[in-house]
Amino acid sequence: MNGHNPVKTFFAVAACRLTRWGLRVAHRGGTTLPGRSALLFDKKILEVVSSGMEIIVVTGTNGKTTTCSMLRNALQESGVDPLSNISGANLLTGITAEFTALATLSGKPKKHFAIVECDEGALKKVVPLIHPKVIVVTNLFRDQLDRYGEVMHTLEEIRTGVGLVPDTTLCLNADCSLTSSLANGVPNKVFYYGIGPDAVDQKNTDESNDLSDAKYCINCGTEYEYDYHTYQHLGGFRCPKCGYKRAATNIEVSSINKISPKGSDITVRFQDENQDITIGLPALYNIYNGIAAIGAYEAAGWKRSDITQSLGKVASSFGRMETFTYNNVDIQMILVKNPAGCNQSLSYLSSMENDYVAVFCLNDKTADGHDISWIWDADFEKVANDKNCKKIYVSGTRATDIRLRLKYAGADESIISLVEDENELLKAMTSHSLPVFALPNYTSMLSLRAVVGAATGKKEFWKDQK
Amino acid sequence: MSDRKLKIAHLYPEVLNLYGDRGNILCLKKRLEWRGIDCEVTEVKLGDNQSLSDFDIFFIGGGQDFEQEVLLNDLRSGKGDSIRSAVEGGKVFLCICGGYQMMGHYYQTKEGEKLPFLGVVDYHTIGGDVRMIGNYAFRLPTESGGSDVVGFENHSGRTYLGEGVKPLGTVLAGYGNNGEDKTEGVRYKNLFGSYSHGPILPKNPAFADHLIKTALKERYGSDELESLPDTYENEAHDYVLDKVLRGDMSGD
Ligand SMILES: [Zn+2]
Repeated sequence: MNGHNPVKTFFAVAACRLTRWGLRVAHRGGTTLPGRSALLFDKKILEVVSSGMEIIVVTGTNGKTTTCSMLRNALQESGVDPLSNISGANLLTGITAEFTALATLSGKPKKHFAIVECDEGALKKVVPLIHPKVIVVTNLFRDQLDRYGEVMHTLEEIRTGVGLVPDTTLCLNADCSLTSSLANGVPNKVFYYGIGPDAVDQKNTDESNDLSDAKYCINCGTEYEYDYHTYQHLGGFRCPKCGYKRAATNIEVSSINKISPKGSDITVRFQDENQDITIGLPALYNIYNGIAAIGAYEAAGWKRSDITQSLGKVASSFGRMETFTYNNVDIQMILVKNPAGCNQSLSYLSSMENDYVAVFCLNDKTADGHDISWIWDADFEKVANDKNCKKIYVSGTRATDIRLRLKYAGADESIISLVEDENELLKAMTSHSLPVFALPNYTSMLSLRAVVGAATGKKEFWKDQK
Repeated sequence: MSDRKLKIAHLYPEVLNLYGDRGNILCLKKRLEWRGIDCEVTEVKLGDNQSLSDFDIFFIGGGQDFEQEVLLNDLRSGKGDSIRSAVEGGKVFLCICGGYQMMGHYYQTKEGEKLPFLGVVDYHTIGGDVRMIGNYAFRLPTESGGSDVVGFENHSGRTYLGEGVKPLGTVLAGYGNNGEDKTEGVRYKNLFGSYSHGPILPKNPAFADHLIKTALKERYGSDELESLPDTYENEAHDYVLDKVLRGDMSGD
């Protein structure tokens, strides 16, 4: 590439590989250090080592990781092994590490396709270097407020990133009034996806609607009217004053035929046909992830049947509905990190027809957000008052906070136990011969996943990747 | 004593609901219920013009900047005056973050623009570049119960109290009103203002009960209140207090 120094490139790639190799020899799953060492030698190394690739970037508050694994899976089923990063490494350093490690020493990429999960705040640094074919924005909810300030600020960060790549196609969730506003005044091609009015109950007014993250029109401040809600502020919104409304979609879920703990059967309306599709992951938010993945594939112009046929086979990704069996007890791990995602997971638990054990792990480390007050915005009442929930464990640095939340949600105090140590926790939670649902937040998921993974013979995550 | 009842007004729940604020309402409700005291919570939203004179406790939370304009218009349309007379009449107010700032005279943005607020109490807020974020703790004076309060603050506005205006407490660790003078929040009549969300009440049961007692005394002349088993509350409180006093302001 013009303007890039081959010597710098060589040292950057070598430094990255060496650091990564060193970490693996030391059995540490380091994900950002190799990227940092590469950046030390060449600040724009990412532009060199991604040159000429076809890349889909996924950003947004919820669903990034699952949407990425659906896309990755579709490519793999079709015989292509794409480059992709992992959830803990979705900032500039982590993404740089992935690309640099898979380049030749002269800086040529060894792969042609990439699926990149990108943090909302990092988008503006990453996309001008990798020139993605498509950027998917899944949705915007409150998340880790102490790190980004407010949801509007996050939206502006994404808008800045999008503004730097006018040739990229935007694939936007039409049901999210915040997300779809990214199309306003930009030259980019826009591809809209969503869940259509006939797919959900027209009378569906989400009970958490009072806590909407976007109640007022982003253009003029008037309260939106809704034809229907899917969940939280997502749905058929329209502003009675300025006319801003849910855009006409390029593809949408036209009906939801069956939802079960194993997955969902849906019908998707394309511009030229309707297709019945199975999504192998449960709950409504995975229907959103599925339609986002199909949208991204369509927007990229890749082969439709690859994605539509692979969605039924998509495996749960790291800590997101991942399942384990320990001493004949099934454990399902569901990452929760904000009220919107947490409410969906709590609804999933309370939809169980049999007895179960619930485990809540809450840490307040930097990667989680130091502010854990969002637990009071999530409806723990759904599980606290569920008669099928026979036992509750709490753990993590802020276990006492989650226990207090459960008390005020109405949980029977006699069924709650606080267990700090993860090994003890694994033994205790599987001692009831009941299925276990563990809902950790990010860093508590990493440590619980390590213990459960080791005990059940599942690999450490970074070893899974290559 | 089961014939007692308190009426709570949740002001602007549809716009001021950040950072778990609704946990404060839930906390008051449960702590009243557990003592057999009836409790009625009314949401007072934008455009609602009902009388505010029969409520005992008012709660107003924090919001996003974008939404504050919508709110200021509603306050100017008359609700502001009702709020002012409720405060002067000794009603209990718990005002958090944006709701706290709003009871002062004005908010001056970084660019120098002055947004006029209610001016119920003599203080003002100035926008800054530094965001004051983190777990923190402050000590209440005896007149507010004397307990140590823990919470989480997240504000870039620095609040300065007018001459003779009493703070809610003295900062033990963290920033408080402005990061300079060790004051946190405001106490005026029975209005309690604070930057602490988290939410503030569940982890600070002594402060929650102080609000309840103040409201009971206003309505019934007696603040008799039985104690509750607060093990979970106190353990969550002590964990944060211990952490911030050690100087561990983050979670790493
Ligand atoms: Zn409008």
